[in-house]
Amino acid sequence: MNVRTLLLLAPLLLLAGLVQAYFWVPKYDQQTRATPSRLETFIEGESADAKILNPVLHADSQSSRIVTLVFDGLLDLDQNLNLRGRLATDWKTTEEVFIVVDESRGFPDGAAVTPERIKARILRAKTSGRFPELTATVRSVEVLEGGAVVPLRFKSNTTDLGQPAAPRIRLPPRVRLELSRVEPRILDLLAPVLGREYGAGFDPARFLLSPDTPNEELRRALNAQLPTVEHNPIIEFRLRRNVRFHDGHPFTAEDVKFTYEAIMEPKNLSPRTSDFEPIKSVEAVEPHLVRVTYKRLFSPAVNVWTMGVLPAHLLRPEVIAKEAEERGLSGADDSFGLRDSSFNRAPVGTGPFRFEEWQGDELIKLTRNEDYWDGPPIYRNYYFRVIPDPLTKELEFRSGAIDSYQLQPFQVARFESSSRYRTLSGLGSGYTYIGYNNRLPLFSDPRVRRALGMAIDVDEIIRYVMYGEGERTTGPYPKQTEWYDHGVAPLPYDPKGALRILESLGWHKNDEGLLEKDGKIFEFNLITNHGNLIRKAILSVVQNSWRRLGVKVNTQVFEWAVFLEDFVNPGRFDAVILGWLMGVDPDLFQIWHSTQAGRNQLNFVGYENPDADRIIEALRREYDRDKQVKLSRELHRIIATDQPYTFLYAPATTRALDRKIVMVSEAGDISPPQASEGGDVFFHFNRWRKLEAAPDF
Amino acid sequence: MGQFILRSLIQRLALLVVVSVIAHAVVHIAPGEPSEVDPTNPRMKPEDVAKIRAAFHLDEPLHRQYVYWMRDLVSGNLRSFKDGQPVLPKIWNRFLNSLPLFLAATLLIWTLSFPAGIHAAIRRGSGFDRASTFVAYALISIPGFFFAYLLILGVVNAFSVPVIGMRTFGMEDAPISFRAMDRLWHLTIPAMISAFSGVALLSRYVRSQMIEVVSNDYVRTARAKGLEEETVIYRHALRNALLPFVTMFGLMLPGLIGGSVIIEQIFAWPGIGRLGYEAILARDFPLILTINFFAATLTLAGTFLSDVLYAFADPRVRLNS
Repeated sequence: MNVRTLLLLAPLLLLAGLVQAYFWVPKYDQQTRATPSRLETFIEGESADAKILNPVLHADSQSSRIVTLVFDGLLDLDQNLNLRGRLATDWKTTEEVFIVVDESRGFPDGAAVTPERIKARILRAKTSGRFPELTATVRSVEVLEGGAVVPLRFKSNTTDLGQPAAPRIRLPPRVRLELSRVEPRILDLLAPVLGREYGAGFDPARFLLSPDTPNEELRRALNAQLPTVEHNPIIEFRLRRNVRFHDGHPFTAEDVKFTYEAIMEPKNLSPRTSDFEPIKSVEAVEPHLVRVTYKRLFSPAVNVWTMGVLPAHLLRPEVIAKEAEERGLSGADDSFGLRDSSFNRAPVGTGPFRFEEWQGDELIKLTRNEDYWDGPPIYRNYYFRVIPDPLTKELEFRSGAIDSYQLQPFQVARFESSSRYRTLSGLGSGYTYIGYNNRLPLFSDPRVRRALGMAIDVDEIIRYVMYGEGERTTGPYPKQTEWYDHGVAPLPYDPKGALRILESLGWHKNDEGLLEKDGKIFEFNLITNHGNLIRKAILSVVQNSWRRLGVKVNTQVFEWAVFLEDFVNPGRFDAVILGWLMGVDPDLFQIWHSTQAGRNQLNFVGYENPDADRIIEALRREYDRDKQVKLSRELHRIIATDQPYTFLYAPATTRALDRKIVMVSEAGDISPPQASEGGDVFFHFNRWRKLEAAPDF
Repeated sequence: MGQFILRSLIQRLALLVVVSVIAHAVVHIAPGEPSEVDPTNPRMKPEDVAKIRAAFHLDEPLHRQYVYWMRDLVSGNLRSFKDGQPVLPKIWNRFLNSLPLFLAATLLIWTLSFPAGIHAAIRRGSGFDRASTFVAYALISIPGFFFAYLLILGVVNAFSVPVIGMRTFGMEDAPISFRAMDRLWHLTIPAMISAFSGVALLSRYVRSQMIEVVSNDYVRTARAKGLEEETVIYRHALRNALLPFVTMFGLMLPGLIGGSVIIEQIFAWPGIGRLGYEAILARDFPLILTINFFAATLTLAGTFLSDVLYAFADPRVRLNS
């Protein structure tokens, strides 16, 4: 064979060898060829890889997807976003209250106050039958003698005490009450016994041993450590019996306690530390009973227990140290901790699927947990496939190589009337908004913000930018929660009305058609982050709407890190387009409370309203659901009136799904897969299965 | 020769240190910092962020951070910020994924370019020559991702066959022959796409080299001796035309790492280019710096290799300093 033939043959043979492989690959119509188990496999397409498969450490939505399949929480959210028991069968909330003995004034009848008398009088009132609420609430009363000397819990920023001894206090005598429910207004309840003014004369400074006279800072620390009333809400979880981790080890209260400790261990750098900070202690009372005591009234606290529970026996410090040793990282290296453990790449939980394999940026494979306490899922294998490019993800879906993926809004219509595919949609818990820097004189007047909002046709944005994949929203809560007040009407699209409002505030159109006041035109910068095409499109739509109103808007798009560091965090911006992803509890402290408007804090628009502050604080102390709903709806109305944001829409989460996939009921009937009322498309995932051919419904 | 090699090695090592220092500074000066901070999680407090910064040494001066990085890199303790996994095994695994793609593309480039280039050179001015010139320039000037999309769209719509990723999922029970062929098929399209511009470029080189060589006196002499045209072209001319390509071999080495970020991104190929890209988005400094460090090492090694190869292949070059 001469060189010429060789040169010609080599590429031809190479190409032929590569192309013939086509005949061996499963096509859409014959997925089960050579692989019958394909029907028992669910393959999901995701745009990014998971980062860390540990419920106490992860912070990204991809990791969260896998973690919810591998781990169970004590609780989770049901169809309607209410809490329901998972690893906990039931739970009850009670309270322990500590009331200081305020001897400064007497009882209503004039008798002097002593600890024993308080106890006796409360017990008498309880048994008298004259105060049914008190009788039902107070379970027991106990006197705690004071006198012990303890250091003052105190973090000094400025005070130079100039003396070696740290400030110390002597504990005052207190009365401990066990309550059958949380009662934020306990002193009101006890008013018939203790008097209306009880506690008003209590001065914690009397119990400071050194120094003699407290300065401002010490006084704050004193008030925090010796409040008149200390509330310690308690949640007791009764745990499910006969639940085993994937390695066969039984699940007990110790695992719950360990999970809490893992979060609070500073070395682990858990992103959930702030969520669990209000907890005072977690005790494993019995193997299947956990008692969680809180430091103060904090009603959103129960929601954190939807987080997955770690297996203590695999992650105790001594086990981790052994792993460090085995990997040749000597035990002397103190920095080696939970975060470095190989557990995070091969997790073991109690969930419906057990972890099998993780190839970075390619796949995560899970298999069915035959031993699942709630009955094993129907699918045998679960694949999480990473396909970053949205277009190729769609093509891969069309070729049958993935069963489901999350659609971009513009892709939804392509699948809706298809005979091969269907869409599955649920309203997300986030919302997109335009935030105005409320500190700037230009935006400080709510009427100006309202006028700007009225000039935007939000329905048009939803129709043309979101392709209908979103719902109008008017306030700070997810629409599917009870906290949202559906009575709040959205801002009307009324450019003329908007112009009238601005004219009444002294703005008038100049020769160029721009609004002008005191020789200055209405001009500002509207910015958003790079990489979100929808926000970028909204940027243009809004710029155009406002230009027609006579407002000159300059728009810019910045890379996320620059956007946060140079503009949002230091508060150097006029207006931004952004979105929040909300939880299911009514707590809005960090986004809307006026104390949270500092640098790097989340109330970056600088919203300030004393009424809103009061409700936000009350919501954290309120444990009664009906009262919470009343408060949260009032808060919704206040924020909607103030318009610190122009609330745009809540985006829907829509997934494409192969029509061959169906939902099987307990009785064996098949029906099309459904999302839950709360918007969770995977709520019934354990009942899904794939058929050989798409059924007719 | 030995002296040349030694001096050349020392120079390149010094250069490597300079490159690593500059790269370290550039990466840290760029805005944004790594942390597990979820920007939309309302409950993350500034204190938590500060703790994370301290754990990653981000609160220390730059030169100290550089020392930490180098120390951990050498001792093998360097871990990714993103997931706490050791960096070196991570890079190695991805390198193994990228390797088949790189090899297949390289094979395609080198086997296709030579016949195409030689043919165009011999029939200079012919229809084939003009057509191949046009196609080559088209391939060079149209971006690769655009071709990739067109080809994927065409293949998927026409044949309903999966082409993304390294393999089809859910095939673990299939016979080995099916699985092997499935892998090969998934290699085919991305390798062809990444070969396109390479073929275009290299066949142009081959063509111009051949044209230059064919007009030389010794080729005329060979023809005058009465040798067959095929022997003249493929033995006398081709061998001499090959000389510059020896050096190109060395320069291909860095392609192993820089590879094809875009192709890997489009095809969801879990290779090293994507690893680097994701690391940059996540501000995963140890990973970015280490990949960059290896890319620099490979580039320097490649130029070194081509210097040495050239000395061996071309008797006119002698490395006496």
